[in-house]
Amino acid sequence: MTGALFAQSLVLGVLLGGLYALLAAGLTLYFGVMRVVMIAHSAFLILAAYLAWYFHERTGIDPLLSLVVTVPLFFVVGYGMQRFLVSRLRPITLTTMSVLLTFAVALTIEGLLGFVWTGTQRRIQLGYSGTSIEVAGVSIAVVKLVAFGLAALSLGALYLILRRTSFGRALRATTQHPEAARLIGIDTDRVAGLGFGLGLATAAVGGTALALDYTIYPSLHWHWIGPLMAIIVVGGLGSIPGAAIAALLLGVAASLLQVPLGTTWAQTVFYLALFVTLMIRPQGFFGGRLAQRF
Amino acid sequence: MPNASSGTRASGPTTARVVRTAALLALVVVVLLFPSLAPDPFILSVGVVILSYAVLATSWNLVGGFTGYISLGHAAYSGLGGYATALLILRSGLNPWLALVVGALIVALIAIPVGIASLRVRGASFVIVSIALVLILQLTFQSWHTFTGGSGGLRVPRPFGPDVLRPEQHERFFYLHAVLLALALLTWWAIERSRLGAGLKAIREDEDKAQALGVPTFAYKLTALVTSAFFTALGGGLYALWFGYLDPIFQFSILVGTYMVLMSLLGGVRSLFGPLLGAVVVGYAVEVFKSQYGDTQFHLVATGILLGLVVLFMPDGVIPALTSFLNRRRRAASIREVSAEELARQREEATR
Repeated sequence: MTGALFAQSLVLGVLLGGLYALLAAGLTLYFGVMRVVMIAHSAFLILAAYLAWYFHERTGIDPLLSLVVTVPLFFVVGYGMQRFLVSRLRPITLTTMSVLLTFAVALTIEGLLGFVWTGTQRRIQLGYSGTSIEVAGVSIAVVKLVAFGLAALSLGALYLILRRTSFGRALRATTQHPEAARLIGIDTDRVAGLGFGLGLATAAVGGTALALDYTIYPSLHWHWIGPLMAIIVVGGLGSIPGAAIAALLLGVAASLLQVPLGTTWAQTVFYLALFVTLMIRPQGFFGGRLAQRF
Repeated sequence: MPNASSGTRASGPTTARVVRTAALLALVVVVLLFPSLAPDPFILSVGVVILSYAVLATSWNLVGGFTGYISLGHAAYSGLGGYATALLILRSGLNPWLALVVGALIVALIAIPVGIASLRVRGASFVIVSIALVLILQLTFQSWHTFTGGSGGLRVPRPFGPDVLRPEQHERFFYLHAVLLALALLTWWAIERSRLGAGLKAIREDEDKAQALGVPTFAYKLTALVTSAFFTALGGGLYALWFGYLDPIFQFSILVGTYMVLMSLLGGVRSLFGPLLGAVVVGYAVEVFKSQYGDTQFHLVATGILLGLVVLFMPDGVIPALTSFLNRRRRAASIREVSAEELARQREEATR
């Protein structure tokens, strides 16, 4: 591998890792507040991508503007999903049953996407789709930069919400110890609902970013949920910084391996990392106490 | 269904036993007579498919029902079973039936490291690994052209000579599947009555307490998973021999794994015949759906909604729902199995 090729793959890996990091942060939020593995996360991601594509197809306006609608919409859907579906499950079997429930939601979304917009592959063509900028011999497509920027901005916003607001403090308290949080007067049910909403909002942002740069089709979400789940396990279930670090590392690794191995085989690095992590360090590499028992 | 009669236990064990035996006999007679009653080969082939689903769901239940660990990726084991059988026949010229058994043994061996990785920690990781396994196998088997035939698929040689015609094939495979189903059911029944079964059920209800009582939880869970993988692989291999063609998209499909879960859950994961009942209902529905509406995206929606409804409103399945209904009508026997969940509910009601 030449130096220029290496630098190119490295940059692409970081850009992709940013998107992974945002989405994995969403998955971590659900797991944190409810101990729920949300399989439907990537299905909502593809749904958002389709909404962005449809918005652009209909109006011709830049798909980024669809965020104005999809982010609040997904927030509300996420809140409702927690309050009306997930919270109905019996607490004793919550972890396994919630997997099945969100899995059912994922199947339904995939089916409906195929039903409404057929299985045809879709792609947004923008004025700046083909343009790229060159920095120190590395050429980067503008759409990839925009997607990364979106992801980084949202992750930053998420960080500020979690660290600087009282809601963020309540959410972190709920994550760490729900009972203790209830004792000091936090309405953990409401916080869990809002946490779900926040998590799903990341899928809306991620989906729009995805639509800029990728060809989308209804069953695409399976290609995302596998790597994302690997990332949250490697990072340590429930840890957002852990998920972000693991996302960047694995994103770069997959991108570098793509050169000698090709796209398909490079994807296996995620599953390999998942397997190795569970073998030698089941609680993940950057996770805290929470991950120990899951 | 013999299990539906367990509510009559209060009226004397002998009557219950007679009813049970009669129901079981009736089931056996129906299965044995089905091929001669089926009006045409198509119906017979639907019967084979349903029996195959029943084998897969019952095998799934060996781990899902006993331990409560839900695997969404059991299609990995059935798909591997199919490929292992086909590749052993094609590449090493093994006798088809020997290849079927050897293939299933290989898959059971593969399940060991998978189990070690996913069972050391609780619930969530197991599900994640099970889905990841299907996805990675689909990727690999699609790309590895030289060995697996890649996305073009793989033709499986027929075990019976060319003189055996299609309806005859269906009939033979119907009985073969029935034998395999009986073996899987017998294994479930034997485990349920063993120390292993008691330990597994203890894990399902409360893993911490089971561990505290000295149940070797990890070894038990691994045993259940490997046994389940073995039977699932046999089911996948037998289906491959009948169907004669393997396509990675359908072999390692998340949807097939979902069907196994849905069937078991709908019928009831705690009862011997639950998955079989679920397989008959769901399998029949799937086949009718396919022949009526073709291969549209709508079956995904239907599967998704049905799974969601079962999880939300009937997580214990049809058979337990019926039994508890009957138990409420008649006084239940004094000693019976109670799940940790029921116990918690009873305690809550007592303190209120």
